[in-house]
Amino acid sequence: MKTSFILGASALALLSAPAFAADCPIKLGGLAPLSAPGSVTGGEAMRDAMKIAVDDINAAGGLLGCPVELVVVDTEGLPERGAAVMERLITQDGVVAVGGGYHSSVGIAAKDVADGKGIPVVFAETWNDQITADRQKYIFRIAPLSSEVSKIYAQFAATIPEVKKVVILAENTDYGLPASEETKAGLEAAGIASSTFTVDIGTQDFSGIIERIRAESPDMIIQLLTGEATYNFTQQAAEAGMGPGDLPMTCDQAALESGAFWQNVPDGNLCFINAVGLPRALYNDKTNAFVAAYTSATGKSAAESYAMEAYDSIGILAAAITAAGSTEGDAIVTALENITYSGTLGEITFPVNSSNPPEAAGKTPNFWHQFPDPAVTMVQYQEPNQLAADAVVVFPERYKTGEAIISGQ
Amino acid sequence: MIRHIPNGAGLAALATLLVFPLAYGGANYDFVMHLWITAFFYAILASSWALLAGYGGQFSFGHMAFMALGAYGAGLLDNYVVVTGQPTRTCLEIGLFGNWVVFIAPTGVSKVQSCLEMAQAAWPADATVSRFPLILGIIFGAAIGGGAGWLIGTLVLRLRAAYLALFTVGFSEILRAAISAEIWLTRGQAGLPLSPIFPDGVTLFGTYFPATAKLPAYYVMLALFLGTLLLLTWIAQSRIGLFLRSLREDEDAAEALGVDTVRYKRVVFVLTAMIAAAAGAVQGHYVGLITPNTIVLLQMSLVIAMAVIGGLENVVAAAIGAILISFALEFLRTDFFLFGTRIDMTTWRLVFFGLLLMLTLRFLRNGVIHGALMWIDRRGVGAETVAKRRAGQTEGAE
Amino acid sequence: MDHPQFFFMAILWMVIWGAVGAVMIRRAYFARDLDVTQARAVGVAVGAATGPFGLIPLYLKTPELTRRWRVLPWLGVAAVFTAAFALSDPDNVCVTSGSFVASQVTNGLIIGTIYGLMALGLALIFSIIGIVSFSHGEFYMIGGMVVYYMTEVWLPGAGPVLAVIFACVVTFMIGALFERAFLTPIYDGRVERPNEYAILVTFGLAFFLQYLVQGLSGANPVKARPFFELPKTNIPEDGSILATTRSNITLFDTISVSTPRLTAAVISVLMLGLLIWFLYKTWWGKGLRAVAQDRQAAAVAGINPKVMNMVAFGLGCMLAGLAGAVLVQAFSWLPQTGMIPALRAFVIIVLGGLGSLPGAFIGGLLLGLIEATGVGCMPDPTRAAAYLPAYGMIVLTLVLLLKPTGLFGKKI
Repeated sequence: MKTSFILGASALALLSAPAFAADCPIKLGGLAPLSAPGSVTGGEAMRDAMKIAVDDINAAGGLLGCPVELVVVDTEGLPERGAAVMERLITQDGVVAVGGGYHSSVGIAAKDVADGKGIPVVFAETWNDQITADRQKYIFRIAPLSSEVSKIYAQFAATIPEVKKVVILAENTDYGLPASEETKAGLEAAGIASSTFTVDIGTQDFSGIIERIRAESPDMIIQLLTGEATYNFTQQAAEAGMGPGDLPMTCDQAALESGAFWQNVPDGNLCFINAVGLPRALYNDKTNAFVAAYTSATGKSAAESYAMEAYDSIGILAAAITAAGSTEGDAIVTALENITYSGTLGEITFPVNSSNPPEAAGKTPNFWHQFPDPAVTMVQYQEPNQLAADAVVVFPERYKTGEAIISGQ
Repeated sequence: MIRHIPNGAGLAALATLLVFPLAYGGANYDFVMHLWITAFFYAILASSWALLAGYGGQFSFGHMAFMALGAYGAGLLDNYVVVTGQPTRTCLEIGLFGNWVVFIAPTGVSKVQSCLEMAQAAWPADATVSRFPLILGIIFGAAIGGGAGWLIGTLVLRLRAAYLALFTVGFSEILRAAISAEIWLTRGQAGLPLSPIFPDGVTLFGTYFPATAKLPAYYVMLALFLGTLLLLTWIAQSRIGLFLRSLREDEDAAEALGVDTVRYKRVVFVLTAMIAAAAGAVQGHYVGLITPNTIVLLQMSLVIAMAVIGGLENVVAAAIGAILISFALEFLRTDFFLFGTRIDMTTWRLVFFGLLLMLTLRFLRNGVIHGALMWIDRRGVGAETVAKRRAGQTEGAE
Repeated sequence: MDHPQFFFMAILWMVIWGAVGAVMIRRAYFARDLDVTQARAVGVAVGAATGPFGLIPLYLKTPELTRRWRVLPWLGVAAVFTAAFALSDPDNVCVTSGSFVASQVTNGLIIGTIYGLMALGLALIFSIIGIVSFSHGEFYMIGGMVVYYMTEVWLPGAGPVLAVIFACVVTFMIGALFERAFLTPIYDGRVERPNEYAILVTFGLAFFLQYLVQGLSGANPVKARPFFELPKTNIPEDGSILATTRSNITLFDTISVSTPRLTAAVISVLMLGLLIWFLYKTWWGKGLRAVAQDRQAAAVAGINPKVMNMVAFGLGCMLAGLAGAVLVQAFSWLPQTGMIPALRAFVIIVLGGLGSLPGAFIGGLLLGLIEATGVGCMPDPTRAAAYLPAYGMIVLTLVLLLKPTGLFGKKI
């Protein structure tokens, strides 16, 4: 019997041993998908960017006299894991705030945990409207709203002459499905017909679907695919004579990692890419410094927008903690609501907040705690092997650096 | 003496599990509770799979699919069937003892108003809308799982070994693709939300626990886990267990000896599928969301690995293996330094895990836990036999 | 679909008469003391294709079920299915456009060649050792990764031939080493249930290899340069017979095939020829086939079955690696790339009959066609490609239910 008691007691001791949040170092959490079925490519980029952010903060002397420690957790792209790792970050690791976040479904599951425990979260790359539409006190977002990006797609398609029929190719995920519905609605409003094709994530061979798209004889193709799917589709479409060189086509922002893009899609010239973040010409010092640090740390040729967003999500939390003078959740939220943070994405603010609710601001609830103006642009590679930074901004008017080359016309 | 250790340790473990949520007070309370609940969930899956594969010899890869069917069954009822105090007049509904069971047409991910919301707009403020009873939802989920288990069990009657494995892999993949593609019903990859186990909270031991509290969910899952273990050990030791083992050893011989192989194959499939489905339904309500990604081969392989490392031929050992591995996988996530380089454990833990699985299979064929139990058991026997022999010798010498 | 009722009525007709055929014909053959092994499958096919019009004569006459009986009714089933589909959805591009169908079929056959090559590896392993390897997809992935690293990172400019050979060597070595270290217990009865042991241990290997590659090489998609690029030509002047661009060939203005895919298929066919030569003309190949046919007899004839096991497993893994090695120039490559092709290879070997080498290759072609048809003809575009991984699995389920021995399999 004695042995049993010892066993039980030691089990208890083992589990209660780790972690009580001490005041120093200040811990910040980061969400990123780092293993399948999550999008590991995006997750690793965000993890690297968040590490750079914390290094920068520590190089500048830390926060409130404390060094900062980053705890990145793997969401695996699974919502239930998302909730679990958020639980872990808060109760096990004792983080005071959380940044990052890639898959929307994971974000939606994780945000309720954080909000319930009063830990502020700044989501970096979760586009689904619902993240902010629930109007939770502790939830912020610097990624663009999915519905707003879809509007950009529709508006951009309307600017191309003689586009009457568009094929939307969406992945069957929480990103692709709502985005395809919103894009379709936006196109309809602009008087453009569209038909939607859906593919399973992980599809390698697109030849069948390309033939079907060809049979629809579209004037333009809008891709709502992420990661390697956009590489596979674009290259195979180009090989079949339906690529960006043959008709106007948008590619996913994964194309902005120009090194990987040109290796995977050698025939991807003239692709339009939906970019989030400042165009090259408007880069501020912070953007330049981050891109330099990121490319040297990862060996990539450019910084993807989700990397910049991840960097800023940590950066803005640090700024808010400094402004609040405290690591207490409510104080950070108040600081975030009043913040004007100059990050790699530009001046970040959250104008629709508790003192200016959506009704008063005349905005939809989607804009709650939302960075209203992440620069969402359409850029175009106009030469093979062009660097992302040199790609031409063709839409909208206010950021434009050159004219779009419309293929096939 | 040494042979009693497993029983004593089992009782102690049981007592520890029962009082743990009350006694434990760490700052990471919620996270540890969550780990335990998930560990119980995997333990239920691993032990029921151990009965199916270890005893019945039915090497199925469809266990996670049954689990998902249970969760989706419960989830669909939870989302699309409500009990109201007023008739809606627009939805499909059945009057029952002054209440109405309302079937809401699925809307998928699009944000259209459902018939219930339209009706609600015209209702008085005190009209009640409550969800379909949780326990009925879980039973429904388990029934769907059991039905699928019956179907699969029937279809695979003629299939053996590799064929059975491939067939069940196929079944899981079709189910995953269908759930991902039929968005109008399942919301696809966005996931089907489920209400908490106790949506209005619950009062236990005189304390009120809100809907998000871990303690009630812990006890619900623990109860399901212990119930499963009792049922499985009873079956394993009963005549059915014996028949199942005869099936596994030599199906033809068993049949020749008069064992109704068809019946017992079906029984074991239905039973384990129902257990998996019930676990899925409860876990779905606890997590609050179910997505088709839970059916991927990787998740299934995790359950199999847990059962194997624990010990396939002992349901308790499989359960202990599952609990140990789900904790180990969590704590292995901590990076460490080796010769000055940081080892990124998020990736490497699965490398070690694969290696561990291979080595266990190769060198510890009975699994780690079951092997240890057997070792303890045999050691006792050995000592006793030696003692008896000695006694015999001295007697003889006299 | 304009008239879905036609389609569903036809399906109902086929299911009912197929079921009737399965029961009645088997009973008829049984009653007359004839060979019943094929009766059920033939009954299903005749019933589904012709209904009572074929079943009644078959029931009365009970002819010997020759190969013709085993093949033709299934073609009839396909014809009825196609006709019902065409009637119910007359505007479908599969029905209206011949060139679309030609393109889909060509692409299906081309990719099917490579599926076949990969499945051949799995079938080879099964025919010699009698196990199904669950790590087949990982060898496919490693084959591709090795070619990428050879041509782009380690030895830029090494040329694809060297890289593909190196990929073959690497996958063969890993396979052979694994077989020596982990599969030997199944030969001498040291494991109680060899099938299950093999499935699990190869599963462990799959885990190990996939995450090992992810840990070593990261998770960014990579791709090798196309092995071969075409000069731009047009025959005749307007390219109406043959037109080529750098990365595409168009025949008769209708069939369009991309060069990387075509290169991969051509290499696959060459390799297949080499494999046939190896299996039928060399001592090692003959030894392998001898072991597959009769282990004991082969051992008596002086062939060491243990060595043959190692060669077979290595060779099987090498074929998967080869399929990956030739496709890495057509698709982007990730450590997780192997999962779906592995499932596909399972479908193919069941379709062809477990352990049948010609069955595996023909099964590969068939699956290529089935997937192309499914993606091309499914009326709802939001579902057509979303179900891509399921088409093969539906075939697998049907085959296991109707004819578990597959097209060319022996009795299980």
